[in-house]
Amino acid sequence: MRRMTGPSGVGIGWRPEIAGFVAGLPGLRFVEVVAEGVPASGPLPPGLTQLRERAVTVVPHGVRLSLGGAEPVDPARVAHLAAVAQRLDAPLVSEHIAFVRAGGLEAGHLLPLPRSRDAVDAVCANVTRAQAELPVPIALEPIAALVDWPDDELDEADFLTEILDRTGALLLLDVANVHANARNRGADPLALLDRLPLERVAYAHVAGGAEHGGFYHDTHTDPVPAAVLELVGALCARRRPPALLLERDGHYPPAADLRAELDALAATAGFPSVT
Amino acid sequence: MTGTPEGDTAPTPRAGLAERQAELVAALVAGGEPPAGFAPGPLAATRAALLRKRAGEVARHWPLLAAGLGAGWSTTFADWAARRPTAGSLRDGWDLARELHDRQALPPAAAEELAVRKARLRYDGRRAPRPRRAPAVGRAGGAVAVQIAGRVRLLRPASRTATLAGDGVPDAAGSSLWISD
Repeated sequence: MRRMTGPSGVGIGWRPEIAGFVAGLPGLRFVEVVAEGVPASGPLPPGLTQLRERAVTVVPHGVRLSLGGAEPVDPARVAHLAAVAQRLDAPLVSEHIAFVRAGGLEAGHLLPLPRSRDAVDAVCANVTRAQAELPVPIALEPIAALVDWPDDELDEADFLTEILDRTGALLLLDVANVHANARNRGADPLALLDRLPLERVAYAHVAGGAEHGGFYHDTHTDPVPAAVLELVGALCARRRPPALLLERDGHYPPAADLRAELDALAATAGFPSVT
Repeated sequence: MTGTPEGDTAPTPRAGLAERQAELVAALVAGGEPPAGFAPGPLAATRAALLRKRAGEVARHWPLLAAGLGAGWSTTFADWAARRPTAGSLRDGWDLARELHDRQALPPAAAEELAVRKARLRYDGRRAPRPRRAPAVGRAGGAVAVQIAGRVRLLRPASRTATLAGDGVPDAAGSSLWISD
């Protein structure tokens, strides 16, 4: 089978609930799928098979590897991600700079690491372990965090750049996370963009969120706010990433609204419309 | 050996990280003490955000449980789950449904969902549910479901008198395996 090309243009996170909508996007060249939801063997979800037949690039996106955990990454989880990448003929995979379990307890979602030397060592060790088993490159995504560790030694840009330099990994830059973190920490999102290695961006995430209880929450279940779209424009003005991916994980809006968000991304970045 | 810092000031680097990560997770999902140095506001916001994500995941696995509780789903789930670490969405929903059943607060549609699951899977409340091989009957709240050769049929609907629950739309935001970041 022909190896797929890297992510390009505007894509969308494939979810079973919107498989029909995604299948009906005529210009779509790229989707992302949550890797833990794809079986390593047996039948693929039918919508994904259709996309593969159309030679749409499918990037497996892991959410449960816990690469930032102090313990070594679970080899079975890495093997699953590798198998999914293989069967989807993916050009790369992605995961997070985060941990999701510790001390035998599942947090249930991505938690931030302290921006410390120890944490850099831990995440680099796990990324290196994963890279040894993966058939394709990995892109690492910095997360949106509501809480910061008290023992941060590095700022966000130095922390991320050091991890990317030491592992050789690509960057999956989530623009909504950059917005969320800057908003919640009272920092300038543009200052972070100016210091990140944008030439290492494999693709960028864009998602919706909402203000709630004094924090901006990166919910993936709300519309993409104007501020996030503006930040996409600011990113593209510095260096346009090869692809932008819209993430929507629930409270799915009418198809016309989702199409409008995809069109707005395309217009902002100067990519062809996929709708 | 002298002059080696020890204790809180300089723990073994990786072991210290493991311990502190474990403390943070326990504080967020198991009612553990807040780890030293974390600001309480952001910690509480993180705890609430994790509960919302988890409620959405359980709602996707137990759509009739969430739908049956309607507008009360989010708070019912959060009250139940706040100090219970997740055992996975299937077990979380099952455990909550059992508890509501025991309190006579399980909505009829949710009772039917539970009866169907009981006919299909064996679950002792401690280990992961496993498929039943032999024909089986599942009952909850008057609902009766029967499973033969892997096919499950609801034989009798749940009693629909004197229900305590609402009937709104579920807050089914996402799912365990399909939520990303």
